[in-house]
Amino acid sequence: MAFDRKHIRNFSVIAHIDHGKSTLCDRILEKTGAVDKRQLRAQMLDEMDLERERGITIKLNAVSVSYKNHDGEEFLINLIDTPGHVDFSYEVSRSLAACEGALLVVDATQGVEAQTLANVYLAIDNDLMVIPVINKIDLPSADINRAKKEIVERIGLTVEDCCLVSAKTGQGIEEMLEKAVELIPPPEGNPEAPLQALIFDSHYDSYRGVVVLIRVKNGRVRIGDEIYLMAAGKKYVVNELGIRTPKEIPTESLEAGEVGYLAATIKDIKDVTPGDTITLASHPASTPLPGYRKINPMVYCGLYPVDSRKYPDLKDALEKLSLNDSSLLFEPESSEALGFGFRAGFLGLLHMDVVQERLEREYGLDLILTAPSVRYQCDLTDGTTVYFDNPCAMPASTKVKRVLEPYVKASIMTPGEYVGAVMELCQNRRGIYQDLIYFDDTRQVVKYLLPLSEIIYNFFDRLKSLSKGYASLDYEVDGYRESDLVKMDILLNGKPIDALSSIVYRPDAFYKGNLIVRKLKDIIPRQLFEVPVQAAIGGKVIARADIKSVRKDVLAKCYGGDISRKKKLLEKQKEGKKRMKEIGSVEVPQEAFMAVLSLEDGQE
Amino acid sequence: MKIPSLYVHIPFCSSICYYCDFPKVIYQKKWVSSYFDALKKELASFSLESPLFETIYVGGGTPSSLSLDELEELLSFLKPFLLKGGEWSIECNPESFDKKKAGLMFSYGVNRLSFGVQSANDSVLKKLGRRHCYLDAVNAVKSAKEAGFTNISLDLIYGLPLESEKEVENDLLALLQLNPAQISAYSLIIEEGTRFAYQKMKEADQDLLAKQYERICVLCEQNGYNRYEISSFARKGYECRHNLTYWHDESYLGIGLGAAGNLEERRYVNSRSLSEYLRQEGRKWETMPTLKDKLECYFLTNLRLSDGFSLEDFLRRFSFSFLDYFKEETDKLRQNGLLMVEKGRVHASSKGLYLLDTILMTLFCAKVMEE
Repeated sequence: MAFDRKHIRNFSVIAHIDHGKSTLCDRILEKTGAVDKRQLRAQMLDEMDLERERGITIKLNAVSVSYKNHDGEEFLINLIDTPGHVDFSYEVSRSLAACEGALLVVDATQGVEAQTLANVYLAIDNDLMVIPVINKIDLPSADINRAKKEIVERIGLTVEDCCLVSAKTGQGIEEMLEKAVELIPPPEGNPEAPLQALIFDSHYDSYRGVVVLIRVKNGRVRIGDEIYLMAAGKKYVVNELGIRTPKEIPTESLEAGEVGYLAATIKDIKDVTPGDTITLASHPASTPLPGYRKINPMVYCGLYPVDSRKYPDLKDALEKLSLNDSSLLFEPESSEALGFGFRAGFLGLLHMDVVQERLEREYGLDLILTAPSVRYQCDLTDGTTVYFDNPCAMPASTKVKRVLEPYVKASIMTPGEYVGAVMELCQNRRGIYQDLIYFDDTRQVVKYLLPLSEIIYNFFDRLKSLSKGYASLDYEVDGYRESDLVKMDILLNGKPIDALSSIVYRPDAFYKGNLIVRKLKDIIPRQLFEVPVQAAIGGKVIARADIKSVRKDVLAKCYGGDISRKKKLLEKQKEGKKRMKEIGSVEVPQEAFMAVLSLEDGQE
Repeated sequence: MKIPSLYVHIPFCSSICYYCDFPKVIYQKKWVSSYFDALKKELASFSLESPLFETIYVGGGTPSSLSLDELEELLSFLKPFLLKGGEWSIECNPESFDKKKAGLMFSYGVNRLSFGVQSANDSVLKKLGRRHCYLDAVNAVKSAKEAGFTNISLDLIYGLPLESEKEVENDLLALLQLNPAQISAYSLIIEEGTRFAYQKMKEADQDLLAKQYERICVLCEQNGYNRYEISSFARKGYECRHNLTYWHDESYLGIGLGAAGNLEERRYVNSRSLSEYLRQEGRKWETMPTLKDKLECYFLTNLRLSDGFSLEDFLRRFSFSFLDYFKEETDKLRQNGLLMVEKGRVHASSKGLYLLDTILMTLFCAKVMEE
């Protein structure tokens, strides 16, 4: 299956979440015969259970398929599926760097969304040929003309090459592929030049070591070649090459323009970073390819094993996970209450959620996450500046001149009738009003400056519920601003618990303190003795609730000698107990550490 | 191996109480004889080395709901299996018990009766879905005594919604006036599938339950009833031998609908479906217990007893010393005042008995249990 470069097309599919991207990829796989209809599960490229369950794409994924056009010419198409959620735009930019074109999917019933815009501009910045595809045209509520008009007016693309498809029924898919191979340019690059291959993803396989996904930009790599990872400065001998269809098909070599996988018994995970360039040790390229922009985490939290003996397992799991999720950053930290663990940085709450679930499912770990926090800036009286993302690291108030927190520029697109509710939400979250733009006849864009910390707590869910799911949020970082912030400590049985501290806006402290102690009182089960839960600022208690002592916990009946039911109940209790952390002599369930996250009950 | 105890389940009831989740069916004459046949077949199927038992317990359902003839058939079937000097109990409901049945049972050698009195308050009885009134209970106990029974046990349910401590006390005092040999006090549990569960009834608050229980303990103690198990209070020498088999984690055979058994440490539960049971199908055997399972069962049964277990018995059974292997946990529980180790025995303290799950959780989660 050798293709000359003229017959190779590399493109990705970009779209807003829910606009049918993964279904469209399924249809392409089916049309090109890469996957038998019988084998076709819904959303083939969403490999993780988690992705299929939630119906979202988290990881980019690449496959190679062959396609014969109307003139009988055969093309190799490298298709890269990308995530649509705002948290994962980093993954999108990685996949785009490996392509020459992109299919921009727009839902005919929804039109252009804020997130679509962001991804399109990423593609245009990467000099990609963008082909608009209007999907879901089979639905009665489809409004093709409106979608076209928006593509022209909002994005600034022309629509004469626009494809009309239904990924669900398969209508228009042939024509779309025809147009894609016609309009998207073949990859450039010189197979005779020194090897330059971009690593855009990787995963760990216990038999083969790290397997990397590469896009060869120049030159050629063969089995047996000694390669050199330019950023890592490490050499390896290639023992496997191939393309994914999505089944792995081994090949002897990969050359300029091609996308495929490479294995070289790379045992040390740290040697591989997406964005690194692979070249030949014997005949190296003079410069590496432009790498990726290092993305900064937005949200941080502590990650601790419930069973402190599992610390090495957690370390190992994080290392393996970060291999194909390079946006996950972590470093060791320790807590008086929780022992040894890690401080980890995430792109957003969904990302944090996904990492937690993957660690628990794929690595069988029981974890405690502390409440998410942003990275604060603290200007000290001695003229120096420190940054901290763990509330415990906040310098003593006597040394602090001022505290700053990160703000974001938020654009919320919403149907007109919810503008009032959206603005109220933003006001309640300490937002600074910026602008209100009429996007089209029915929708408006509300622009606010908001503290990032206010967005990470339940903001998205609130937004969705107050707009019946219609409003969408996009935001970008907008520097630091001074805020009246204080550290709030939580005391259990009179002792401050470091892992429960949080940074709060001073005028909200009293209210939040009350909410959190009441919440903790409900979450923490009764103990053998009465336990006060207190919230304090600078040693001054501002709220208190008491956990009562346990009085009865025995099933007083064990009838006819049938103890099986009793045993089942105890078994369940045992599972619960395993997920608790003993702090002092108080048993605290995992959820307690995330309690601040669910404080919205009864608020707003 | 010798099996000391036999449990026989009679599932028939004249009506269904609102809290009951035991295997039961409404009494219908047509089922009784085939049910008895099934019981006989089942008992024979175990091909026991020695089919003689030290205790037989006929529970339900409502065994007393059987007609006089049916009752006689059951009694004559079971009589040969009781060892001389053995304990033979039958559960009865006040409304279906009379002098004739009392006389019949006594003549066959039944020597212990357990009455489901539950409350001395007629409006409470109505709320529970019971068919008797308190006067029926008084008369039933009287009939039993006249027939010659001296070992009579009465059941009491406490912890009903909105029930005060005082009401529980009144119930208990009324029961004590009947001068039983034993009183069993159970707190109301809302079980899945019961009428109470459908009504979304909630169990009483644990603070209130604890107060009611403490009151029950004090009153029983004052009247000469010793708490030998969490919910059982007996006059000296009248502890239920059959139930002690359970609490000592010894073997027993259970026959009948939904009955449970423990044979050479392997446990089973019969089907709760009558048609399945009549075909002698649907018995579920537990997988072979591991050492951990055995330890868990041992603790969960023995520690319900006020005097717990002896270190000697533990050593004989498990061939290692309890105090060596559970040192850390025992120390912690002793410090918390939940567990006592004295005179070669390990037992829950008075406070610990009502917090037994906390004790069990600590022992179950011991490091040695993972190894």
